[in-house]
Amino acid sequence: MVSIGNAHNDLIHDAVLDYYGKRLATCSSDKTIKIFEIDGETQRLIDTLRGHDGPVWQVSWAHPKFGVILASASYDGKAFIWREDNGQWSNIAQHAVHQASVNSVSWAPQEYGALLLCASSDGKVSIVEFKDDGKPDSISFPAHAVGVNAASWAPPSVSGSIIQTGAGATINAATDGNGSSTTSTAQETRRFASGGCDNLVKIWKFDSSVGSYVEEVALEGHTDWVRDVAWSPSVLSKSYIASASQDKTVIIWTQEGSGPWKKNLLKSDKFPDVVWRVSWSLSGNILAVSGGDNKVTLWKENLNGEWESAGVIDE
Amino acid sequence: MVKLKEIPRTSTFAWSPSASEPLLVTGTVAGAIDEDFSSTTQLELWDLSLLDHSPESFQLNPKVSIDTDARFYDIAWGGASSSNPQGFIAGALESGSLQVWKPEDILKGNSSPVEKSEKHSAAIKAIDFNPIQSHLLASGGSKGEVFIWDINKFASPFAPGTQSSRHDEIETVAWNNNVAHIMATGGNTGFTSVWDLKNKREVLHLYYNPGNTGNSQRSAVSSVVWHPNNSTKLMTASIDDANPVILLWDLRNANAPEKILRGHEKGVLSLDWCKQDSGLLLSGGKDNRTLLWNPESGEQLGEYPIAVNWNFKTKFNPKVPDILASASFDGKITVQTLQDVGAVDKPETKQKSGSPDDFWNPSSYVDTLHPTFALKQAPKWLARPVSTAFGFGGKIVSVKTTGDEKKTSTVIISKFVEDESLSE
Repeated sequence: MVSIGNAHNDLIHDAVLDYYGKRLATCSSDKTIKIFEIDGETQRLIDTLRGHDGPVWQVSWAHPKFGVILASASYDGKAFIWREDNGQWSNIAQHAVHQASVNSVSWAPQEYGALLLCASSDGKVSIVEFKDDGKPDSISFPAHAVGVNAASWAPPSVSGSIIQTGAGATINAATDGNGSSTTSTAQETRRFASGGCDNLVKIWKFDSSVGSYVEEVALEGHTDWVRDVAWSPSVLSKSYIASASQDKTVIIWTQEGSGPWKKNLLKSDKFPDVVWRVSWSLSGNILAVSGGDNKVTLWKENLNGEWESAGVIDE
Repeated sequence: MVKLKEIPRTSTFAWSPSASEPLLVTGTVAGAIDEDFSSTTQLELWDLSLLDHSPESFQLNPKVSIDTDARFYDIAWGGASSSNPQGFIAGALESGSLQVWKPEDILKGNSSPVEKSEKHSAAIKAIDFNPIQSHLLASGGSKGEVFIWDINKFASPFAPGTQSSRHDEIETVAWNNNVAHIMATGGNTGFTSVWDLKNKREVLHLYYNPGNTGNSQRSAVSSVVWHPNNSTKLMTASIDDANPVILLWDLRNANAPEKILRGHEKGVLSLDWCKQDSGLLLSGGKDNRTLLWNPESGEQLGEYPIAVNWNFKTKFNPKVPDILASASFDGKITVQTLQDVGAVDKPETKQKSGSPDDFWNPSSYVDTLHPTFALKQAPKWLARPVSTAFGFGGKIVSVKTTGDEKKTSTVIISKFVEDESLSE
């Protein structure tokens, strides 16, 4: 176990390991991002990234095929892209389309390309695409009437690609929504979930005919702000989304094929405090839940489809 | 401060208590008349349609309008419960009538109130729903009258204690946010009274003497607001143009205010202390300005675009304080955002340094046409105190708050071994 205390001069809001588990990025209300090298039980501060004008809420590592790249979201309304070259970190791009705090950033699964999803208090979501020529291309649109707190990409439809080699190719076509016979590529099936201050979780899907994302469904279940959403990277036939809320509950939303989304409370009684964060393990079978009571609990689904405790992260 | 929507009315207003679809209720305000000298008085509901960003949707049309008997001094929307999630809309009318409507009735165009009382003998100036016992409503008005109403037993209101000689015109009533039986009233005599309903008496009064201002008149208290979490702190606003101050009081020492916020150039008309972040306070005044303060540090954080007439009411949305509404006597209620990162760069031109003579030149004064906002302080509700994220190989990174005041963080990387979870 590695424990890092007092790394920043103010509260830390996010800490994420890179793809290899070798580097840790942390971000804080002190407006900085810190990069640590993790080696076994030891850690070493490599760099402090400065440039944001406000608290930095979240960081996200890009897939290593794009280089050593980190994105950050700040109260200053901007998302920054940072890159390391030969041990030197620099700010290589600034995404400044939002008019209020950017609350979350997340890189898309690498199959989709270098795509960054941002959620803002201005009620909009934006997606920046870094094309091969390095030029960013962004779209943004209203997503939640009174502020977006989080957004999470769906995994590429691996289940679809497995099915395409077998008997079920039609299932994949059906998820297209319009039932057309177009060949589904990762490009066309890009989806993500967002959560907002309107208590809703929304599912968005890229529509190539309009060149943007359209709302597929708005999921009602929470009675207060949705603080976080996490789409499971699971490659099973079922899609799983976990949503964490100010109402002290976590809802697991599941969808089979293109059927309706079903909701299940992760546990029937409420958590002791606001639930701030949900994160799936890389295989998608374990969910970590972080609450305002400072506890991180782990959950997994049993064979009856019920969620049960899989442990607690100790101090 | 991105202006989101505009309501073309000179009206007092209240936010709906629910967040999923923010609504505003407005009532034609007392003390004003519109251009066509219309005598119609209305209660109207407005759907903000915040997802519609088209220019034609900027100025809103009412969802529904009903006619009322008289003009409004104040309006409140509260009293929601599990059996009545929409709550009640209560109106303080100039005629002295207190009327209560159900929002679902209004939406059907039904103008008859579910409750109506003429218990007040003169105009009612202010009303407030109890934030803890949501069926209780307090009202205050002319002739020093203050009444407590139970929505379930509306016919028998009671006074919070013996009528205080310190009051003449009650201008504001406010329930304590943490102790259900404590409330405060303020009015034209400059006194703020704190009432204990359990003991049915006035337990304390506050009075601020600004000293030698040469002004013998007592400065009326236009607004009282309680601290969102600290039951002994409250703020009062002075309507006096000669001394337009906002005072922070701690009742544990009521002899003098703990802090004095100066910034308004004319009398202050309204206050709102953010429920989700005690470090944010809104004020509006006769100088047509809306200011944002940190009442704890006393610092002025920002200013919203100026109106062309008195700004008489400014309120955070109770569920989503990222948006706020301000009503002014220029025929508009403006709905805007708390922050706008685009506005940060604008206020550069505000104070030109120059010769001392410029002191007398009004143009060297703060240029209030431009909103100023410094992003100094992120609202507390955005600051996630904890986090967790899975990494490669079953590693889990967690962020926890530590220290007595929860002001520092610790990052922990642990490893999840699936088999261990099988052994209980």
